[in-house]
Amino acid sequence: MLSLVFAYAWSTGNIIFLGAFFTIVAIIVATLVTTTLRTLRALRANAAEAIRWKSDFHDMPSSSRTCRHVFTGEFERRVCNNEFNCNGCEQHALLLAQQNAAAMPVNAQMNPGFALPLDRLYSRGHTWTKQNTDGTYVIGVDDFAARLIGTPSAIDLPAIGTRLSINGSAWNFKKGETSVRMLSPLEGEVVETSDGAQGWYLRVQPLSADVKTGHLLRGAEVGPWIQREFDRLQNYLADPKIGLTLPDGGMPVRDFTAEFPEKDWDAIYSTLLLEP
Amino acid sequence: METNHTSPRYGMVIDVDRCTGCGNCMVACAVENNVPPADPKATERTGTTWMRVSKLENGLPFPENRSVYLPVSCQQCDHHTPCVSVCPQNAVEYDTESGIVAQIPVRCFGCRYCVTACPYHARYYNWWDPVWPEGMEKTLNPDVSTRMRGVVEKCNFCHGRLQAARAKAAAEGRRTIADAEYVPACGESCPTHAIHFGNLSDPNSDVSMLSKDKRAFRLLEELGTEPKVYFLSEQDWVHAIVKNKISTELKGHGNG
Amino acid sequence: MDKQLISRGTSRTPLPRFMLWILPWVAMLGIGLYAIFLCLSKGLNQTNMDNRFSFGLWIYLDLTVIALGAGAFFTGFLLYILKRKELKAVINSAVTIGFICYSGAVAVLAVDVGQPLRAWFTFWHPNVHSMLAEVTFCITCYLIVLIIEYIPVVLKNRRIKNVPSMLVFEFELHKLMVVLAAVGTFLSFFHQGSLGGLYGVLVGRPFAFRPALGIWPTTFFLFIISAAAVGPSFILLTTWLTSKISRKQLVKPEVLQDLGKISGSILIFYIILKTVDTIFWINSVHALGFSPAGFFRIQEFGTWILFLEIVVLGLVPAILLLSNRVRQNTTLLVLSATLACAGIVLNRYVMTIQTLALPTLPFDQFLSYSPSWQEVATFLAVIAYGMLVYSFSFRYLTLFPQEREIQSV
Repeated sequence: MLSLVFAYAWSTGNIIFLGAFFTIVAIIVATLVTTTLRTLRALRANAAEAIRWKSDFHDMPSSSRTCRHVFTGEFERRVCNNEFNCNGCEQHALLLAQQNAAAMPVNAQMNPGFALPLDRLYSRGHTWTKQNTDGTYVIGVDDFAARLIGTPSAIDLPAIGTRLSINGSAWNFKKGETSVRMLSPLEGEVVETSDGAQGWYLRVQPLSADVKTGHLLRGAEVGPWIQREFDRLQNYLADPKIGLTLPDGGMPVRDFTAEFPEKDWDAIYSTLLLEP
Repeated sequence: METNHTSPRYGMVIDVDRCTGCGNCMVACAVENNVPPADPKATERTGTTWMRVSKLENGLPFPENRSVYLPVSCQQCDHHTPCVSVCPQNAVEYDTESGIVAQIPVRCFGCRYCVTACPYHARYYNWWDPVWPEGMEKTLNPDVSTRMRGVVEKCNFCHGRLQAARAKAAAEGRRTIADAEYVPACGESCPTHAIHFGNLSDPNSDVSMLSKDKRAFRLLEELGTEPKVYFLSEQDWVHAIVKNKISTELKGHGNG
Repeated sequence: MDKQLISRGTSRTPLPRFMLWILPWVAMLGIGLYAIFLCLSKGLNQTNMDNRFSFGLWIYLDLTVIALGAGAFFTGFLLYILKRKELKAVINSAVTIGFICYSGAVAVLAVDVGQPLRAWFTFWHPNVHSMLAEVTFCITCYLIVLIIEYIPVVLKNRRIKNVPSMLVFEFELHKLMVVLAAVGTFLSFFHQGSLGGLYGVLVGRPFAFRPALGIWPTTFFLFIISAAAVGPSFILLTTWLTSKISRKQLVKPEVLQDLGKISGSILIFYIILKTVDTIFWINSVHALGFSPAGFFRIQEFGTWILFLEIVVLGLVPAILLLSNRVRQNTTLLVLSATLACAGIVLNRYVMTIQTLALPTLPFDQFLSYSPSWQEVATFLAVIAYGMLVYSFSFRYLTLFPQEREIQSV
């Protein structure tokens, strides 16, 4: 350009105009190149699943992002903006220190009838994990998700050796036309998979000795949490014309999906199992 | 546009009292500048006529009725030339060596912003592909390039003739050309010698003196664009019409 | 398959009904594409434009859609730069509308110019004094910015985001969105302005000519402010219309009210400036020796048009939009936004068509022009194209993130 252009002159007008234009072109190109490089770096670093969780988390409605300290009654209302990453949450650390002083009683009354044993840790996506004696962890779905989905039509399990990240995809359930992703409660490498017959789906080997489980729900939190989840489910199942009715006190059904086939289960799975 | 007064500034003075409206200038112009025959569907508003003769009437009943003919081409604005600054790709240029506002059709992409900008409607867009009937291409002027569809063109005071005169002078070892050596086709062809042409920078030139005549007027002088085409008339009503400012004399609604 | 493309938790009309809805638009686009083909292959003799009326329906359309499309840059500016978080609810829709408006305008411009293949000349040897060069540069750059801003909206599609590379690219691009919003704002300010400058610099057209403030005529600034004023109104209007057609609540009512308030506060500022400018214009035209009233002699373009533009479609909606009570009434809010948009549509019409229709030479007459079917079909093709892109975007992409939350409550 410039010297190639007939009668081009280095006048102030030309310099300002073309300077501004090429600065903008440079900014646009730089933005695209930076994005591409960062994308390649993230893909190489296997960060796709962590990014998927971050991205999904921000697309989730605030009703799905309730802080765990609401379940324990420490807050009336608090929305998590930290991707449920309690391990890096200052507020969580602070509250945990106070909780230790007065250990909260386990309120089994809050549980509306789901079997949620307290010997394991629960993720917000309704998967649980429990350490084996050999140091590996097994991962399964909790009673809420099990009853929600009922009998899946297909299970799409990861290959042995797949590396899972916290709140990354662990495996997929298919139910009819819809599918749902189950979140991995912890980081690790899949060493064994199962069809769920023994109550678990994956066995993972943690990647380091320091296994991060601080973000998982436990003990006194579990009951109120599942009550809240059940309320949310009932919101969906309630007849829109009648509105929300009080639970009849009976046991939750074994297969909600089969019980209410007319509902938009795609949306319900998406909300309750955290896959927007 | 800054004007270099040591260079010639070519201008035109048209004596409308002498103009009979014969249209010879229009024909000569079209032939000189390779304007193609109009498409059968072309209208007054889509045809190409670098030089266009308008009729002005005093509007009085017989026997007081009077009319004059006003040949209007590009007025070669010398200052704040409306079409030069608007062109996005430098296809319109003011030549400081001659004062001629030149259109460069090969650079033009046909946005027609200059057509909108020109208050004299002196710019013409090529709505059709130029077509010369079989055999007529032999009449084409080899000194002037033809234009394609989709570009704008206009009067350039027969710039090709200026180039030819300059080349001839250079061949003879002269640096300047005499007034008589360069006359546009319209001026040359006018049977009543109504069109005068020459260097306005030369105070002794024919056009210079005529432009200072009290009969002289220019179109839309008040816009401040310093057109280099002057008109002469002794008739007061002609002055009255052109002094009537824009849109104050609208006679109604019609296809101009 | 269709169901798998629709965002989770949102319901869309069944596929056959959707097909029925897009069918007329596809037909309209088809006819328009044929008209465009005629114009490109046979030349602009297919239009009713001529050497006197050299800009027509198309330039008017370009000016209008670009003014209405300003919602994209202005919403982006308010959200990313001024951190008005509540506008997150409409930003995707605003970006889509911006993308539609600008791509449509550029497409029509490519038909409008006689030699579109020479358009690159402007980038190679631009005349930096030309407003049109400024417009070309800014619109080209801004269209690229809009495409880049629209890409993340597309990549967020339910199926596409399952592809890891797409998801990560979207995520990384979104992190840099503030840069693009800033560039977009800068570009928009300039080209909205230069579109106004386009007419303001016409020294040969005293009706449009305005004195320069700095290096730009006053219309430069008026166009920026008016575009910023109606951009949010147009977003409000399209959101409301989408909501009506799809029979779904898409955003919380406060969002529409906020948009109305933003629109109203800028509009009142614009109307004051426009009035001042008009008074100055009357004086300056008078000083040149023209009669300002002479420009309004023709009944079709009488002073009523000035009154309509400044008062009925300017001052009135501005005052309405500034009233809290009006904003809380959806009907009145939508009506006011419609009036505001109509005001700008009229302003662009006056600047383009009245400027060209008025005679310049003392012995000229008023000019009339009515577009040919090819021009109208091309115009309608842009509208059909916009409807199609928006319909598909609404069906398969998340244009209103709040929709799902509202549905689930």
